[in-house]
Order: sequence, then structure tokens, then C-alpha cells
Amino acid sequence: MTDTQPPAPIVDISGLTKRFPGVLALDRISVAFRPGEVHAVIGENGAGKSTLMNILAGDLQPDGGEIRIDGRLATIASPLASRAAGITVVYQELALCPTLSIAENIMMSDMAARSVVSLVPRDEMRREARAALTRLGMGTLDPDTKVSRLSVAEMQLVEIAGAIRQRARVLVLDEPNSALSKRESDRLFEIVKQLRADGVTVIYVSHHLKEVLDLADRITVMRDGRTIETMDNSGLSEDRLIRAMVGRELDTAAQWSLQPQARSHEAPVVLSVEKLAAPGLDAVSFHARAGEILGIGGLPDSGKDMLGEALFGLCGRQGRVTIDGKELRGGDPQASIRNGMALVPADRRGAGALLTMSVANNVVSASLPRFSMAGFMRRAAVRREARAQVARLDARISHLGQKLGTLSGGNQQKIILGRSLVTNPRVLVLHEPTRGVDVGAKAEIYAILRGIAGEGVAVVMISSEIPELIMNAERVLVLRNGRISGELTGAGINEEAILARAMAS
Amino acid sequence: MTQAVRTGARAPATDRFTLARLLRAREAGVFIALLVMCLFLSFATDGFLTSLNLLNVGRQVSLLGIMAVGMTFVLIAGEVDLSVGSTYAFSGLATGMLIIAGWALLPAICVGLLTGVVIGLVNGVLSTYGRLPSLIATLGMLSIVRGAALILTNGQPVTVNARNGALPDVLQSFGFMGQGYLFSVIPMQLVFFVLVAGLAWLVLSFSNFGFRVYAVGGSAKAARVSGISVNKVKISAFVLMGVLAAFAGILGLAFLPSSQAGRTGLGLELDVIAATIVGGASLSGGEGTILGTILGVLIIGVMRNGLVLMGVSPFVQELMIGLVIIVAVGIDKWSTRRTG
Repeated sequence: MTDTQPPAPIVDISGLTKRFPGVLALDRISVAFRPGEVHAVIGENGAGKSTLMNILAGDLQPDGGEIRIDGRLATIASPLASRAAGITVVYQELALCPTLSIAENIMMSDMAARSVVSLVPRDEMRREARAALTRLGMGTLDPDTKVSRLSVAEMQLVEIAGAIRQRARVLVLDEPNSALSKRESDRLFEIVKQLRADGVTVIYVSHHLKEVLDLADRITVMRDGRTIETMDNSGLSEDRLIRAMVGRELDTAAQWSLQPQARSHEAPVVLSVEKLAAPGLDAVSFHARAGEILGIGGLPDSGKDMLGEALFGLCGRQGRVTIDGKELRGGDPQASIRNGMALVPADRRGAGALLTMSVANNVVSASLPRFSMAGFMRRAAVRREARAQVARLDARISHLGQKLGTLSGGNQQKIILGRSLVTNPRVLVLHEPTRGVDVGAKAEIYAILRGIAGEGVAVVMISSEIPELIMNAERVLVLRNGRISGELTGAGINEEAILARAMAS
Repeated sequence: MTQAVRTGARAPATDRFTLARLLRAREAGVFIALLVMCLFLSFATDGFLTSLNLLNVGRQVSLLGIMAVGMTFVLIAGEVDLSVGSTYAFSGLATGMLIIAGWALLPAICVGLLTGVVIGLVNGVLSTYGRLPSLIATLGMLSIVRGAALILTNGQPVTVNARNGALPDVLQSFGFMGQGYLFSVIPMQLVFFVLVAGLAWLVLSFSNFGFRVYAVGGSAKAARVSGISVNKVKISAFVLMGVLAAFAGILGLAFLPSSQAGRTGLGLELDVIAATIVGGASLSGGEGTILGTILGVLIIGVMRNGLVLMGVSPFVQELMIGLVIIVAVGIDKWSTRRTG
């Protein structure tokens, strides 16, 4: 925005406060969103972004402060009131009915607004849905397709289609691209730019600083429940944003820029994979050496997302996977653990962790035989091991009995990492090791992984975040269409090279 | 970029009533199973494929069917109701006692249905605003309603006949509801079932309310964000269930004019849920159709009938019903896993 006279804000928040038991989630924050701007809101996990968005969505009520919409004092008492005010929030965890069709989902708000004794206008529904889809360049999608059969990216676009359909004036995108491939997020950016051109205000919550810098007109940084500053996006750098977010200088030289040193060329091969085939994977062969961090990259449909499960034996597979020459049987995760493989899955909430169980129980949950005797848990040993892992990983918890689900994403991930380490793995496979983890904890996790590799473990890091691969891996395999399309080492590992191998056809 | 992400290969909208589409429908598997069962029984027994027997099957499944229709709404909304067997007994008894007390038919039935409304309302409020899982809330109501029926009748059987004080014309109309035949051929119970199912099909497939039931069960969050009042929809489903259970209970008493609070409708809730599940409704909500439920009810009815005709012992019948539940739902799960 280069206007000398900024337009009057469409949503003006001042002194907004929200208190949860024991936590001040929002502390008198103030921020103004102008019509027709892309306004990024960034901050570490726990900075208060989600609380603010939930208030805008009508899911939470503030304890103090005021929200003005078009200059008038407004109370967003319910999700419906939020929609009525022209605000649509596209959540990170999508708010779609998987059992209903695309058309039904796009038109759900219309249906809610109509009389409960009216009929369902099927044809109109289909027509309107197709129009909304076409506007997003998804005209080839059948509006009758059940949402459960779509990819995450498509689901996200369906939600946005619903928002457009309701003529949203303020569109909140909460971490919109954490599950999108490069191509899909490019498409999303096109849509965001078009919406902006149409005068829609887009509030963009993201961890991806590069995208924020590419896309946003203004950027508001939040930290510890406060709005630190709102900046016009000109002449800003990632470092500048990170400084504002963490409130301290990161040790950039040590943790962010340094290429990992190749130290394992001569080390023995630990993991050997020959002609591995599984759903989405087609005869993949590679190896990993002791002490190496091997990066695996690729687009979401490249097969990379199946690789971790296939290696670990969570799904059926063909081909040979061996650790120290010993073959692992497919479809048998317990055998994989026994033979020295550990998996940190991407889906922390679903497959990764026992959220309702204690930190201590999570730490030992992959090595129960070692921590039980005659069918009873050896509680003292469990606590000792858990305490050791918590200390080693510098996980911030209140006590060992704390439920895992109450920890922040970064600390959950550390505990899951701890669980893997308790099994004394020779090979540690990580899938999206820092998804949903804030900047500070990311750096800590990278340091931990380097430490683990330094002890002679072969670390296989499967990630959608290219910077993460560049920063940590000394060798990167790129997958495309279920096959390895390239191998990069040392100085050859850079964003362009990875993208070229992931996307070229 | 002219093509959307990963969607290029998908065909545009197809005609709605092609054979392939029909076969892909969730009900297709259940329908084929029913067809196979009927074919087998037609050859294996003499009595199965007669209009008399088929109408008899229709009558036998009617009460179960009426309740299963209600259960379809509750399951699609993502809840479950275990109290329907008790409601069946309580509402029937209430109506029966009023008839004995000399009430006219319509008021007596209305009060009986009203008890169903109240029970459904309590179930619904407990499961929504009361924040209890419906499994727990309705498990409690199962006992409470059954207990209330025992207290009301002091555990004694209630028999609706003239000797106990029922008016003769009331008795005649009441008897016709349960035992009569439309055009001297079609059992009245079956007529009521067809009416209830037809109406429910219209509501669920074509009305805004039906849409909301699917939306609420598919994702309560998505429904809430869209402005649908999740609690109201769920409570409505419970009330509908209560009314239909009460109606079935009243018809049951009209068919067999003696009822005892300690015995009538015991364990019926499990039959109702079983039939609904066999018909494709999902315990996790969002899925199910009236057509599927009718097929599920018929499968269980035809199976019972066939086993009787073949002279199989009632003990084995129970066992077979259990197998049908597991196989029917299992086939659905196993086949979805393979394709999706």
C-alpha cells in the first residue's frame, strides 16, 4: 500500500483482551485491517494468533476491548454473526463435512439461512457450486463429489469457494498452506491476489515467512498475546520478522545458515532399501549411512508421504528393507522397532502420539517390554527414562504426569522424538519433523537431530519444507511420481535444484 | 494454469440415474444381499414366495421399521438412542391405561405420543446442552423410563379389553390399528410403516431439515460455522425418535393388547440399531438413508421368517442375526478400505 492517506479500516480492533484459566491469551491487542489488503499475522505458537482468529470467527468472546466493523462497534456473538458481518475464517483444521458433496458444503451457509421446512434446491446448489469452483479454476471438479474423496488442497479450495460464494469481505486464512504443494500454494496465492483486487480483505496467518513477504501488504507480528508491531511490507527481511517474533536474536550463524558438514562418506551403510514398492511408491532404492542426515523431498503426490509408513511397515510393501544387513518384514512395525528402526510420523494428533496419556507413558510407549515386568509397568524405571529424555531434549513440561495433549506442538514433538530414542534406533525416520512447531523449537529440534546423527544413527528426514532439508541434510533424495528423480549432495543442495527435480516433467 | 490441482482426470457431472451409479450406491450391497436371500428362500422353502407370507413379513418388521426410521435420523446426526425399547413399553402402557380409564382413542394416543416427545426431549437436551455422550444419557434414560413404567403399572400387566373398562368403539378402532387390514389385504401396521418411511424419506432427502441432519453428523464444526444450530438439530432428531418409538409402542399394544412393564420391548433398542446399521447408517454420523434402513429391516425380517419356515430353532436364529450384522457392516468396511 503506497497511499499516503490509508483507507478507513474495515475491522478495527483495539485493546482486545482474552483470558483463559491461568493464561492471558490476548493482552490489550490493537490491529486494524483495511479493505482490499492482504494482512499477514505472524508469531510463534502461543503468540495469540489463533485466539484472535477464533474471536473474529465468533467462536470465542473477548473479555475486554472493542471490535469495530466499518467503524461501528460490533459484537461477534456467534459463528453466524461473524459470517453475517462478512467475515469467513478458513481454519487450519478444515470445517467441512466429509460425508457431504462439494456442492452441499459450499452451499451449507445458504441452507442454514433458509427456512428449516424448505426444500433442498439441488439443481441451484449444483449450479452455484460449479460457478464458485470455476471461479477458482476448479471447473473440472464434479460438484457431486464427496468431500472425503478430495485432497487436502482441494478441500481448502472448497472452503474458500464457500467463502467467495457468501461474498465474504474479510477472509481469514489460518495456516492455509501447511498441507499444500508448491504448485497448489502458487494457485492459492493467485486466488488471494484476485480476491484482493476484488476488494476483499485477506488476513493471512502463516509460519512461512517467505510467503508472507511475497504476498502481504502489511504484516502484524504477535508475541506473548500482544501485537508487537504492524509493518508495511517494504524492505523487510525474514531475519527482521524472526527478530520481531522471538524478541531476541537467533543464533543465525549456527542454526540457520550453516550447511551441514559432510562427515559420513566413509561410514558404513545402515539402512538399505531395494526396489521398495507401496501405494504411491514405485521401486525406490536407496541407502543411508551411519551418522548421516538423509533428506527426502518432493511434492505431496510424489510418494514421499507414504515413504515413512512403508519403511516402518505400517502399510503393505514389496521390495527389501534391511538394517545392518538384516531384512525387515513388511507390515510388522514391531519387528521394525526390534531391528532398530524408529518412526516419527507427520500426523501427531492422529497416529503420532497418545495425547490423553502422560508424558512419561508416551516416552516409553514404543518400548513397553523393556519397562514392564511380569505384566506390570516398572514405574520407577519409566520415570527415570522419561526424566532423562525430557532433560536431553529440553522439553518444557510441568511434570512427568502431564497429559501430552496439553503441551505446545514443539514440546509434543520433542516427547515423540524421545519415544523414538528410547528404542535405541539405528535408523530414525522422521516425517515432517517440525510441522506446526514454532520457530524457536524448530531450531532446537534441528540441533537435537544433528546430535542424534552424531551418535552414529542414520537419520532419514522426509519433509515438505525445502529450507529444512537444505539446512540439515548432507544428501537429499527428491521423489517424483513414486520414483527417485534426483540425488543432491553438499553444495548441490539448493532450492532451485530440489524444485527442478520435484516438478520437472 | 487451466487445470485445477490433481483434478484434471475426473469426469464432469454424470447423469444421476445411470446403472453404474446405482450399483455404486451404498444401498446396493444390502439390496443384493436381500435379493440373494429371497431367491434362496424361494427355492429352499414352499411357503416363502406367497403374497400371504410376504405381507406377513411386512407386518412383522413394521414396528421395528418405524423405530429404525427414527434411529436413522439419530445415527446420521452422530448420536445414538438406547432408550427406545423402554419408550416403546412406556408409551404403549400409558396409552393402554388411558383407554382402560375410558378415554377416547385420539386423546389417549396423543398422550402416548407426547410421552415419546418428552423422553426424546430429555435425551436430546442431556446429549447436547447437558454435554453427556448420548450413549450414556440414553443408557440412563433406558433404565429411568423402564423404571417409570414399572412404577406406573406397579409391575402388573395392562390388558386392554372391555372388562377392564375400555369403551367398545374405542376398543374396535384401536384393535383395527394393530390387527386390521387395509382393503382386507394389507396389514395396517405395514401401512403405517410405509407412511412413516415415505414421509421420513421425503424429509431426509429433500428438506432443509434433512440436509441439516446430515451436516450436523458429518461435521458438527462445519455445521456450526455455517450457522446451523447443532443442538437444535440433534434434539429434533431425538424427539422424532421418541415419537416414533412411542408410536410403535402404541401399535404394538394395539396388535397384542396386553403389555407388562417388565417385559415389553426388552432389548428392542439393539434390534433397532442393528437394522439401521445393516442398512448402512454409520455410528460415527453423517451417513445413512431411509432406503438403506428399510433394506436393513427387511434383511432381518426376511431372515427371521426364512429360518422359521425352514424349521430352524429360535436359538440358531439369534446367532444368525448376529452373523448378519457383522457380515453386512464388515463387507461395507472391508470394501471401502480397498477402494479408498
